[in-house]
Amino acid sequence: MNIETDPRRARALPFVWAWLILLVLGGASVAVAFSDLGMWAPIIQFGFAAIQTAILFILFMRLKGPPSLKWVLAASGFVWLSFLYGLSMTDYTNRQGWPPLYAPNGPSFQLHQSRP
Amino acid sequence: MPRSIALRPEIQYANLAQQGETAEFGMWVFLVNETIFFGALIFTYFLYRLTYPHEFAAAAKDAVLWCGSVNFGLLLTSSLTMVLGINAAAQGRRRAMVWWLVATVALGCAFLGLKGFEYYLDFQDKVVPVIDYQPKPGEGRVGELFWVFYWVATGLHAIHLTVGIGLVLYVLLWKIRAGEITPAYYAPLEVIGIYWSFVDTVWLFLFPCIYLVARS
Repeated sequence: MNIETDPRRARALPFVWAWLILLVLGGASVAVAFSDLGMWAPIIQFGFAAIQTAILFILFMRLKGPPSLKWVLAASGFVWLSFLYGLSMTDYTNRQGWPPLYAPNGPSFQLHQSRP
Repeated sequence: MPRSIALRPEIQYANLAQQGETAEFGMWVFLVNETIFFGALIFTYFLYRLTYPHEFAAAAKDAVLWCGSVNFGLLLTSSLTMVLGINAAAQGRRRAMVWWLVATVALGCAFLGLKGFEYYLDFQDKVVPVIDYQPKPGEGRVGELFWVFYWVATGLHAIHLTVGIGLVLYVLLWKIRAGEITPAYYAPLEVIGIYWSFVDTVWLFLFPCIYLVARS
């Protein structure tokens, strides 16, 4: 039986390049952690993680290609997650004293309080 | 002697391609649940980190960065070997497929071994909530929350990876030996590969949450 190889499974080089990019981004995340970027450091690090996730999803997990409904499922996971994050943050950001404000010489933290 | 009967699709499918696509689709349905599962876990982490940033920063300094970093490399490399194994299966290179899958299992086991060593270091460092926890200066009463997240998240990730290793071993020891993985039908391997890369993805987010907090 002569079976034609799936073109997405014919070459190794794209995966090797993607793997190198993933490692470089991982190294960049560590470098960012040791730089003095303050609150931007975690934002950049999670940005790198998002790029790495996109590479893994599209290339390694073959999100591109049949069955095309895979896109709907992959997107739905993130849509439901955004509902969870969005609705929960709506609650938290409306709580009095959250997130707590830090004063240089003040107490280490203050407990947040619910509105009466 | 490979069983040629394995090349026939199950009765509900028109052909092997449809059967494979359905299997792949099923794995994506499962991964939607997994996304919510780990997403909710990471969300609780964000809430606590926003609420107690200084305490979390103080507590996270005890995380063993070199272990997390080496494991990061091991896991990404295992995703590469996994995908190269699937490529070899698609091309009918049986020997190469077996060796790439063996490498994948070895890298997965190396990850778990190093994680075990890291847990040993954590026990020595007294950062095991409930069992043996000693607060460090600056982390107050809530530093322990960081370590609860650490143990729960890394433990769940390790369980997922163990399941992945078991699945690859199942393919290696049963499916391939029975001749059920061929260029015409390698969907079981493809499905496990998708799961494996997803477990990798979870680590991509746990890594900055745990190991890269307040290092500067």
